[in-house]
Amino acid sequence: MKLLQKTNKAYFLISATAFIIAGVTFYFVISFFFRDQLNEKLHHDIKNITRSIKRNGIIPNFYPFFEIKEVTGVPEQHTKAIDTLISDGFEKRKTLYRQVSLVTNINGKEYFIAARDTLLEEEDLLGVIAIVTGSLFVLLLLSLYFINRKLSLKIWQPFYKTLNELKEFSYDKPGFQLSSESDLFEFTELNKTLDKLTQKVISDYQTLKRFTEDASHEIQTPLAVIQSKLETLMQYPDLKKDQAEIIKSAYVYTLRISKLTQTLLLLTKIANDQFPEKREINLSEMLNEKINIFEGQISDKSIKVSKEIGPDCFLETNFFLAESLVINLIGNAVKHNIKTGTININLDKNHLEISNTGENLPVPSSKLFDRFYKTNKSSDSPGLGLAIVKEICKLNKWEIRYEYLDNLHTVIVDF
Amino acid sequence: MKILIIEDEKELVATIKNFLETEGFLVETAYTFYEAEDSLSSYIYDIIILDLTLPGGNGLDLIKLIRDMNRKAGLLIVSAKNSLDDKITGLDMGADDYITKPFHLAELNSRIKSLARRRHFDGSSELIFNEFRIDTDSNEVFVNGTLLDLTKTEYEILLYFIVNRNKVITRESIAEHVWGDSISYSDNFDFIYSHIKNIRKKIEQNNGRNYLQNIYGIGYKFSER
Repeated sequence: MKLLQKTNKAYFLISATAFIIAGVTFYFVISFFFRDQLNEKLHHDIKNITRSIKRNGIIPNFYPFFEIKEVTGVPEQHTKAIDTLISDGFEKRKTLYRQVSLVTNINGKEYFIAARDTLLEEEDLLGVIAIVTGSLFVLLLLSLYFINRKLSLKIWQPFYKTLNELKEFSYDKPGFQLSSESDLFEFTELNKTLDKLTQKVISDYQTLKRFTEDASHEIQTPLAVIQSKLETLMQYPDLKKDQAEIIKSAYVYTLRISKLTQTLLLLTKIANDQFPEKREINLSEMLNEKINIFEGQISDKSIKVSKEIGPDCFLETNFFLAESLVINLIGNAVKHNIKTGTININLDKNHLEISNTGENLPVPSSKLFDRFYKTNKSSDSPGLGLAIVKEICKLNKWEIRYEYLDNLHTVIVDF
Repeated sequence: MKILIIEDEKELVATIKNFLETEGFLVETAYTFYEAEDSLSSYIYDIIILDLTLPGGNGLDLIKLIRDMNRKAGLLIVSAKNSLDDKITGLDMGADDYITKPFHLAELNSRIKSLARRRHFDGSSELIFNEFRIDTDSNEVFVNGTLLDLTKTEYEILLYFIVNRNKVITRESIAEHVWGDSISYSDNFDFIYSHIKNIRKKIEQNNGRNYLQNIYGIGYKFSER
């Protein structure tokens, strides 16, 4: 829910409650005073009637407003005020009246005297009150809504600006700076804090990146020494079998570290966008050519390759990266394949699809493109191939996804 | 043939020097930028191996000096930075080839010899070993005068063997030499075996001797026993 909606809802609920309470109270107060005044008037009427009877002996009668009757055997009664329903004789319907009555002795006779007035005005009053409070309520709500909207747009404007700028934030793009300024303390504080935070994120990321790069470089030279020493050791003519085996495993592991650091370096470079040079690349040709690299492994595993490669699919991108993408995807499809499995390669202008048979286990696609993710923990490969592919896609703003259907693992790149 | 190695890592220099000397090269070394400047201004070299990261200066700055003083020398750049920029700049400035650290000694040897052939220090682009004659211009191999019908891959493997004859060559080195870095996606290198089997067969069909020995699963050695 938006901030504006939330405040508007709160305003509506609070003012509606307040207006209902105020309206009801108002009604009771007015009604009280109204009856009070009516009572007073009726008392006065009764006094006048009593006086008139005393003085002149005239018994006025103007039903239902004045009712005077001689009564017998009724004890004297003080004035009392009640609401009563009376039919006025013209209409069948009974009307609510306020009645003040007493039984009193005038000149030796007992009289019941009642003075009445309709309470119809009170109903009108209720209607008026309802209309007045109702319209006040609507007026208040409308003004609240407009003030709120205007204020929100104005006051919160720097906030929304900051929000929009933050959406553009990327930790690997140095030079990020929030531009919005506000004369409001809270927003200024917010922006300051956010600025600090983003700068910290950026600089931490840069440090990490530089570390990876430096570490990889520094590792390469010692590795080169170890590798060359092992290769020299292999040259000894009277090498025994067990000695050769030790050298071999030391050698294989050295190569593995070497490959790992090189790959990490490549990932850093892609993230750093250090491959600016772009040109038109014929992906169709590249696919057909690169599959040959794996020809030996494909025939070793008796894999059946079916290709549907549209002719002359061009991409505007970096040559080296396109090559890495293609080699990684094909290499993956070959490597994780089974004996007598299949590989399908589809390419058209908008997407590249490579699917392969493999273990009948779907891979969690959220993890598949993560660095160092392996389905087979004991595998020799460090699990960086698809991470490279993902980085390349990210850099080129291509979509990449993974699907598992009918025992086929499929990676799709949408250009 | 005289080679100068310009590289600051002394242990690496020692190994490379030792390896190249067994190949019959005359090897001199320079460990710093200034030593390199000295050597380059005093002597003429056929091949120069230059590491780009040097104490005292950037190796790229030495390229100009090399081109001034040793115009005919083959220049091979070595760098720990597998950086395309360095590679392009280096090649633009006049380097002949580029190799990334760490590298296989056999690969370095093969690059040096290919450089030497291209610059015709031996006076010919032909390579002769017993009954083998390889024409590196037309990529053809003759055994006892008959042309071998080799695939491109088989040709490259055989050439790599003959260039590095009498040396143990690992399967990883062969794979990387022929297929490049991308081959590291392979689980195993057994598929190399099928290529080698084919090469052996084709040589035997033309009455060539079998010079290929398997060395305890490490790799192969092409030599007279």
